[in-house]
Amino acid sequence: MKVKILQWHAVASWTWDAQDETCGICRMAFDGCCPDCKFPGDDCPLVWGACNHSFHLHCILKWVNSQNSQASQQQPQCPMCRREWQFKA
Amino acid sequence: MDEDYEDGHRFHIDDQKNKRNLEIGEMDVDGSNRETIFLKNNYLVKNIGAVVRDLRSLGFTSMTEDAYASAIFSLLKAKVHNLAGDDYRALVLGSIKDWIQAVPLQFLHALLAYLGDSFDCDSMSSGLKSPLASRPSCYPGIDFPSEGLVRWQLRLEYFAYETLQDLRIGKLFEIIVDYPDSYPAIQDLKQCLEYTGQHSKLVDSFISSLRYRLLTAGASTYDILHQYVSTIKALRIIDPTGVFLEAVGEPIRDYLRGRKDTIKCIVTMLTDGPGGNPSGLGNAGDSLLEELNRDSENQESTDYDDDINSDDKQAWINAERWEPDPVEADPSKGSRNRRKIDVLGMMVNIIGSKDQLVNEYRVMLAEKLLNKFDYDIDSEIRTLELLKIHLGESSIQKCEIMLNDLIDSKRTNANIKASLPQPSLSGSKLGGTDVSLDILDATIISSNFWPTIQAESLNIPASVDQLLCDYAKRFHEIKTPRKLLWKKNLGTVKLELQFEDRNMQFTVTPVHAAIIMQFQEQTSWTSKNLAAATGIPVDTLNRRINFWISKGILAGSAGSDSDDHVFTIVDDMNTNGLIHESSEGLLAADEEGERSVASVEEQLRKEMTVYEKFIIGMLTNFGSMALDRIHNTLKMFCVAEPSYDKSLQQLQSFLTGLITEEKLEMRDGLYFLKK
Ligand SMILES: [Zn+2]
Ligand SMILES: [Zn+2]
Ligand SMILES: [Zn+2]
Repeated sequence: MKVKILQWHAVASWTWDAQDETCGICRMAFDGCCPDCKFPGDDCPLVWGACNHSFHLHCILKWVNSQNSQASQQQPQCPMCRREWQFKA
Repeated sequence: MDEDYEDGHRFHIDDQKNKRNLEIGEMDVDGSNRETIFLKNNYLVKNIGAVVRDLRSLGFTSMTEDAYASAIFSLLKAKVHNLAGDDYRALVLGSIKDWIQAVPLQFLHALLAYLGDSFDCDSMSSGLKSPLASRPSCYPGIDFPSEGLVRWQLRLEYFAYETLQDLRIGKLFEIIVDYPDSYPAIQDLKQCLEYTGQHSKLVDSFISSLRYRLLTAGASTYDILHQYVSTIKALRIIDPTGVFLEAVGEPIRDYLRGRKDTIKCIVTMLTDGPGGNPSGLGNAGDSLLEELNRDSENQESTDYDDDINSDDKQAWINAERWEPDPVEADPSKGSRNRRKIDVLGMMVNIIGSKDQLVNEYRVMLAEKLLNKFDYDIDSEIRTLELLKIHLGESSIQKCEIMLNDLIDSKRTNANIKASLPQPSLSGSKLGGTDVSLDILDATIISSNFWPTIQAESLNIPASVDQLLCDYAKRFHEIKTPRKLLWKKNLGTVKLELQFEDRNMQFTVTPVHAAIIMQFQEQTSWTSKNLAAATGIPVDTLNRRINFWISKGILAGSAGSDSDDHVFTIVDDMNTNGLIHESSEGLLAADEEGERSVASVEEQLRKEMTVYEKFIIGMLTNFGSMALDRIHNTLKMFCVAEPSYDKSLQQLQSFLTGLITEEKLEMRDGLYFLKK
């Protein structure tokens, strides 16, 4: 007997493969989405800082904006390690 | 006294004899031989009239009247039964009333006229005090009805309403089974009850027939739910306030809460067409949700017509329509305002909460989506839209993400397959099987939003494994830094078994595919070796392999070791009977309980296990406790993590599970420890 596979419909889950489970800003799961978004994944991406901390893109953008408006001369910092926040290339 | 009795008795006999004449009279009221019948009737009236007058003169006025009244009533009763019978598909109240006009009232008119009671000139001009006075009533052949005659009409009509009402109430169970075909019978009953006000008779009688006919172990949960829905639809015609429905629905709801498959059946009924349930009532192809939606759209469009008029007018109409709740209303239940009876709400009421309904739906949806070959989710999108309308957007958000995953998967799948050049695939010839990426599709899920999915180990065939690797690599390139994690035991496989003399196609789970593919190289396996080769635990393997044995592809026999089996391919099978066996839909029929998605009960069971010790402890101390007392005690004491946040229904279903496990027992509504 031989078996010929006609079709194989497989199932997988995706992950951002971040070091942590949850975003340090909104406390939501990285593989979920930030509180402002409805759908996870492409719609609510993750970003890494030069310090290697990762956040939901929308969360860190809000954070950076609020830092900028509070103290205009100061550079925004990573909310986790207080180092200057820079997007990882 | 004897003589009177004789006369009364004789009157009955006369009446029976003349019944035929009277009925002919009815048939030919407008006919050409009307004159003859009147002559006959006149003869009859004169005979009876003479007897009545004689008896009156002897002082037996009321006894005489009782005699002909009881004859007329028994005739009317027979007529009502005859006209109404067991046919619920026609309105009969109108013809009963016509008959009352055409036959007994004609007779009474003539009789009263003969007796000289009928000329009451004031009766028309002074206006009658009876409620019928305002009604346009027509007395064929009678120009000026006397007050006595109008009283007779009232008595006869009341008797007819009550008789028809009792007849219909006695058969209400059947009438509701027949609904909506039995709509006319329901309308008649509504009119009767409005006249007699005997709604409580309906409630008592219907509840007892429910207990006797429906709420029994033999009735399927689907049948009970169908009758529940029909009851709601039928009774809201009779009783738009929902007060009696509340009373009638309670025993059904109580009973259903004790059944384990209730939630599942409700969700299936709501979201699937009749294909999903064996009774298959209702409009073909429509889910209950679809039907409810259509109803409410119709409702809204009529409301809208009203709204075109000014608000003042609407307010006036509402005010005019206002009626107090009937006296039977339980003030603790429902408002005094006229509320719309919401079938979905009454279904949710059985389950306990919207959240539980959505949880159950999510598990069913996951199961459906994970078993799809294509990415066609049109009907699921429609169902979710309907759920959104009725349950609100927030409660179905996770389901929306699940559907969105399918839409995304379809797009990503196409991208990946387009970007991977076929010939460069390495390892596509492993295992002696030609496989190209053509055969592979994938559903990629956002696992945080899906119900718990049972992880099961499985070694899939190397050729397919290589394809999965290539696919995942390409995904990572396209969606960096996202990665794919395969759930190898999930999904659907279509395969063809090629024998020397025949080919057979099957649609199976990856586990079944992995098992059968092992038999290409080696025609016989012991269960231990096969379990090791496929990476499945032996007991799981022994269960799952039954599928191939039942299809006649494999044969099992006892091995050298008592708990080891030997499975062999049935290669030169001469039993051709199995060849044409259709294999579509096998997945669903395959091994009940072998589900990849953890059921809501399983999840609840897991969450509730923490409280089991506590419940056992309480029952040890108190001996026995009622459901709500256990519930309240848990609420009071389990405040630390994990705090007790379950509903009464969830607790009840957990306790039912403990009874099944023979840890608890229940008597008279109290839970005990099983000794
Ligand atoms: Zn975040
Ligand atoms: Zn976001
Ligand atoms: Zn940092």
